[in-house]
Amino acid sequence: MTAALSFQDVSKHYRGAQEYRALRDDIMATVGRAAGRKRLTRRVVKALDGLSLEIPEGQSFAIIGPNGAGKTTALKLATRITYPTSGRVRVRGRVGALIEVGTGMHPELTGRENIYLYGRILGFRRSDIKERFDDVVEFAGIGPAIDQPVKQYSSGMQLRLGFSIAAHLEPDVLLVDEAIAVGDAGFQYRCIERMAGLVREGRTLVFVSHDLSAVETLCERAILLRTGKIALEGKARDVVRAYYESVHTDHLSQADVNGRAAGGDLEITAVTFHDGTGAKVEDLRTGQPVVIRLHYRASKPIRQPLFSVGLSDGRAGCIFIASMLVDGRAPRLIGGSGHVDCVFEDLPLLPKTYEVWGSVRGEAGFGDLVDWQRLRLVRVRGEVAGDGVSAVSSIEWAPVKVPYHWRVTSEVGAD
Amino acid sequence: MATTSEAVRRSSPGLEIGEKPVLEVTGGRGRLSRESLRELWVFREVLWAFAVRQVKVKYKQAAVGIGWAVLQPVVSAALFALFFGRFAHVASEGVPYLLFALAGMVAWTYFSSSGGTAMESLIADQALLRKVYFPREVLPLAAIMAGLVDLGPALLTLLVAAGLYGIAPSVAWLALPLPILILILAAAALGIGLSSVNVYYRDVRYALPFVLQLGLIVTPVVYSLNAIPEQWQTAYAILNPIAGAIDAIRRIVTHQEWPDMGITFGALAWSTVLLLLAYALFKRLERGFSDRV
Repeated sequence: MTAALSFQDVSKHYRGAQEYRALRDDIMATVGRAAGRKRLTRRVVKALDGLSLEIPEGQSFAIIGPNGAGKTTALKLATRITYPTSGRVRVRGRVGALIEVGTGMHPELTGRENIYLYGRILGFRRSDIKERFDDVVEFAGIGPAIDQPVKQYSSGMQLRLGFSIAAHLEPDVLLVDEAIAVGDAGFQYRCIERMAGLVREGRTLVFVSHDLSAVETLCERAILLRTGKIALEGKARDVVRAYYESVHTDHLSQADVNGRAAGGDLEITAVTFHDGTGAKVEDLRTGQPVVIRLHYRASKPIRQPLFSVGLSDGRAGCIFIASMLVDGRAPRLIGGSGHVDCVFEDLPLLPKTYEVWGSVRGEAGFGDLVDWQRLRLVRVRGEVAGDGVSAVSSIEWAPVKVPYHWRVTSEVGAD
Repeated sequence: MATTSEAVRRSSPGLEIGEKPVLEVTGGRGRLSRESLRELWVFREVLWAFAVRQVKVKYKQAAVGIGWAVLQPVVSAALFALFFGRFAHVASEGVPYLLFALAGMVAWTYFSSSGGTAMESLIADQALLRKVYFPREVLPLAAIMAGLVDLGPALLTLLVAAGLYGIAPSVAWLALPLPILILILAAAALGIGLSSVNVYYRDVRYALPFVLQLGLIVTPVVYSLNAIPEQWQTAYAILNPIAGAIDAIRRIVTHQEWPDMGITFGALAWSTVLLLLAYALFKRLERGFSDRV
């Protein structure tokens, strides 16, 4: 098995807490040393600390972990954007990378000129780029804007073009950072679809993401990075689960809920799950009744708030949404602390990690009390397929229709 | 069935082994090697694209456009002609002072503006440094190349001006590429060397305009090389290759004679040495650029 990407005992240290150095500072430091003063010890940040890793060709691989764990640094080393302090990085094949929005884009040049420039930077001949030009433009979906300077593009357009270039110039190894999370829902979907397509073609994918559901959908194997070291390596599904569970115990998934719109009158303080008997559960079970409970705190009485809850598997949009905007079952008035239950009699989801999204709209749908956002993650377990289901599940979009009804407790004095 | 197709699919990628480029990076400082030059050659199209981009970007929203390339040396030469030539009677080797100063300003403008742009190039494109790989010397080199687009019309203006003063083209004009090569090498040495230092010490960007101002005084741009004591002239024109290049341009264009070959090749050799030193420094510092910009 040939490795497309290998790290051998790679460390990357940054000298911390120093932005720009002026000559004066170094002179003063030298003078200070000469005068016998002790040298200031600089804080060294170890972005990667002895990382050893082999990613075989054709594998879809994920790097997950909390912020500052060194995920992006690992990608930057593989693309020679930055260099290791020690160790050895080896890459086999042409690399396409989308590490940040606007990667390699020059604002004054048109989209067309940028495609050629970036293609050449990636090491493609002009004729190679010409051949794939139409695919790039079509995927990016920027139409006639291709001949406008990129500075006139929206950030979404820049992102689409950047991803499109990286993913269409036939990379052997595609490196994608969480940048795609910036794109709109439809684009994210197409990105993930495209990445899955490249994996099917036998390309190597390294995906860095906080989007655990997408990781599980897309990747076979994964590592969990913590403070520059591998905390766990294994099947993507197992690593995601372990990470999810550790996050869970860190109460991060609870703290994750910071839903508060501009007005601040209403806050979703927590999301909990309950089984048919009302007992609190940590995981959901396939085919069982499930209650998703939104705990709220209202600083003043709120008339007819419209709650919405959706579940997503990390791809664009939600698999299903239960919304009072649609069914009109809004409570007349709420106030203080309480909760709203969204009850699903039968959960038709396969075992995997899902995201719970939610929002609260004001009376008659005007204004967001709580913006539409990801509230927390949840794991669905079940016997239907058990753990035997392949982590690389089908990429086809499968919307699910679910019967549900609302039940609201703590409704404050009706009229 | 399934197993057969599986087996086929597995075996085929093996055929490609050896075709894919392998890249290996280890820790430590970089250094100038034959590999650096080979890689620069691989990225020649990128260099070209950057140079083209720079020219396009430079004149994209400028009303006078490429006219600036001519306007700058002509206007400054005209002012020098008025104040130095007419009022102060600075000696100009028997050549009309305007033409004399123009020859100096065309060369100096190229050297200082492309060298200055090159010095800023890494900082100006720091977003690129942080986002995509290419040999970093491509950026300052592109600035030096893009500057040639300005040098061309400026030189043409000089030759036309010479014609207007009744100086006919001569066979010595064939030697014109030599001083131009000196200018390119010297500007590249300045740009590559200082751009790398500028990443670490932003003082460079403030110091350079001042140093270039001083350079305009110490270099025989608006006065003759003859103003330097005679025994020092050759050494000075070699060690300050711009002085050598300007002297060669004057001899070729305004005196219709071959340049002093000792000075010319001396300056050529010295500026090559400077460029190699600057390049070595650049390669040594290069790996830290994206972390520091």
